[in-house]
Amino acid sequence: MMRLLRLLNGPHDLGQGRAFWSGMALLAAAFLAYPAIASSFAASNVAYYLLNIPMALGLSLLWGYGGVLSFGQVAFYGIAGYTYGIVAGNFQDFAWGTAAGAVAALLAAGLSAAAFGYFVFYARVAAWIVPILTLVLALLLSTFLGLTAGYQWRVGGIQLGGYNGMTGIPALQIGGVTFQDYAFFYLVAVVVAACYIALRVWVNAHRGQVLMAIREDVLRTELLGYDVRLEQLRAFVLASVLAGVSGLLYVQWGNYITPSAIGLQQAALPVIWVAVGGRDSLLAVAISTFLLNQLSYVLSSSGNQSALVIVGGLLVAVMMFAPEGIIVGLGRARWLRALAPWRSAVGPGRPGHGE
Amino acid sequence: MLPELTSVLYQFGTNAAFLLLSALGLIVILGMMNIINLAHGEFMMLGAYAASFAVHRGIPFPLAIIAAFFATGLFGIVLERLVIRRFYGRELGALVTTWGISLILAQGALLLFGPYMPPIPIPGGAVSVGVYSFSVYWLILIGICVVLVAGLTLVYRATPFGLQARATMQNPTIARSLGIRTGRIYMLTFGLGAGLAGLSGALLAPTTSIAPYMGQQFVAPAFITVVVGGGANVIAGAVGSSTFLSLIETPVSLALGTFYGTMALLVMALLIIRVLPAGISSLGARLRPAIAR
Repeated sequence: MMRLLRLLNGPHDLGQGRAFWSGMALLAAAFLAYPAIASSFAASNVAYYLLNIPMALGLSLLWGYGGVLSFGQVAFYGIAGYTYGIVAGNFQDFAWGTAAGAVAALLAAGLSAAAFGYFVFYARVAAWIVPILTLVLALLLSTFLGLTAGYQWRVGGIQLGGYNGMTGIPALQIGGVTFQDYAFFYLVAVVVAACYIALRVWVNAHRGQVLMAIREDVLRTELLGYDVRLEQLRAFVLASVLAGVSGLLYVQWGNYITPSAIGLQQAALPVIWVAVGGRDSLLAVAISTFLLNQLSYVLSSSGNQSALVIVGGLLVAVMMFAPEGIIVGLGRARWLRALAPWRSAVGPGRPGHGE
Repeated sequence: MLPELTSVLYQFGTNAAFLLLSALGLIVILGMMNIINLAHGEFMMLGAYAASFAVHRGIPFPLAIIAAFFATGLFGIVLERLVIRRFYGRELGALVTTWGISLILAQGALLLFGPYMPPIPIPGGAVSVGVYSFSVYWLILIGICVVLVAGLTLVYRATPFGLQARATMQNPTIARSLGIRTGRIYMLTFGLGAGLAGLSGALLAPTTSIAPYMGQQFVAPAFITVVVGGGANVIAGAVGSSTFLSLIETPVSLALGTFYGTMALLVMALLIIRVLPAGISSLGARLRPAIAR
């Protein structure tokens, strides 16, 4: 137990010490108390801003900590979403039907990532090939799902629905609880917190350190006796399962999923959230994911078509002027740290690594 | 027998020409600068837009294509000076940044010019052999591919720019110490790659609808061609990879449909990199180490 806590407080993320964790506890309490003052609509919106965080954390692990960039995390998001829709939809009359759907969804995301990742990582390809191939995967999956219109494309009683997507996806039901409205908000909040804590332990534990060693120097890590291919594949599968968690939450949020949720524009978003926050800090990525989702939601719900131009511009600007990310940059700025109530023990800032 | 054979050859030819045209600009930039330009599809879109503008102002189509080459090339040079040159040596950074640029270009084109541009009619008619008829324009495109590859070979093998570019590609530090202005080489290479993308976009514009997100349809074929081709030898990689992939794609598309043809490309790419991680062009370098590149 003490060991886990020590790992949780470890140096490979922003924020350590009693004051920081008290702040985090306050934040968690604020989220848990939020439904008491919010309308069901507002709570649902906040749940939407939160539910993409697991996917972003997974990409942060892969890219920021592992030095492997994937542009296709939405593919696994979509695989999990569609799988849940199929399994949960077919078995929703059973008590365990939706729970089985959730398990099947995560399994599908993990297994497809393992199969795809095997070809990519065991080939030891150049760094730029992984993002290209994952992007093509997402694009083709989205194209394929767009072609599945019509009655012949159905699994059991569930139609895939082509461009209109799959509708009427049931909410998760465990025991007597159906996760809708406020219950869904709590589900999202708890899952997101659990993902953050687990990943933070992971990156500070041995596996995470091996991953960072690979990012710094592949050959050296290999000479120390680690199987680089296996470690990268493991990180890729973990990241994809996390993307699956987000996909799973997404289909329950809106009870539908369309191929455009996996399209080229959606594929860009996780990369933007992670790059803007700062890819080698899980906390920064979680914060930026929440804020940028809110920004796009507000922009697009006001009918503003320039949302993509704005986030695209933000991405280019960040990559040019703050390549380590805005929040990480602020978190490591000396003048700001002097003001902070806690003394951050983050190692020396290393902008530009992992590229 | 002859008509069937012609038809199959025509299918191979058009598929290979499509793959080559989609990938040419991308592979020139990758091979020379080790930068993947994710805004490649949007550069093709810009080329198609430029051609559409020109054609509908009364400029003949061949001139419009040349105008598209120079317009997109110029745009590429400006972009290289402003943004891309900061990312030399940072592969993944360049990848992410050009993706941001592609989002801006596609959505920006939608905001500026609306959802559709006036289409360009397909020039040339059709010729028929037996019961099959073939589009003359696609036959011209196949010819243009041959001319483009020959032209690029000439530029890289027989001009001072080509010599300096190959030197820069092999070893930028030594090239610089010999007085080659490598920054200028990179700028021109990026401009050439962008221009070729624009040229391909303009050439393919009559065969498709001209819209802000038209670049997306080139993403999968272009990137798979580049992954399979590899960056070791730009021209041989592009030609070898597009020929090889069209051999795979054509029968699958004919039997199952276009989507499964593209799907077969992805599966093929995964299998190829498992055997040849550096692509088909590394095969030549392996067989002939002495005259590699």
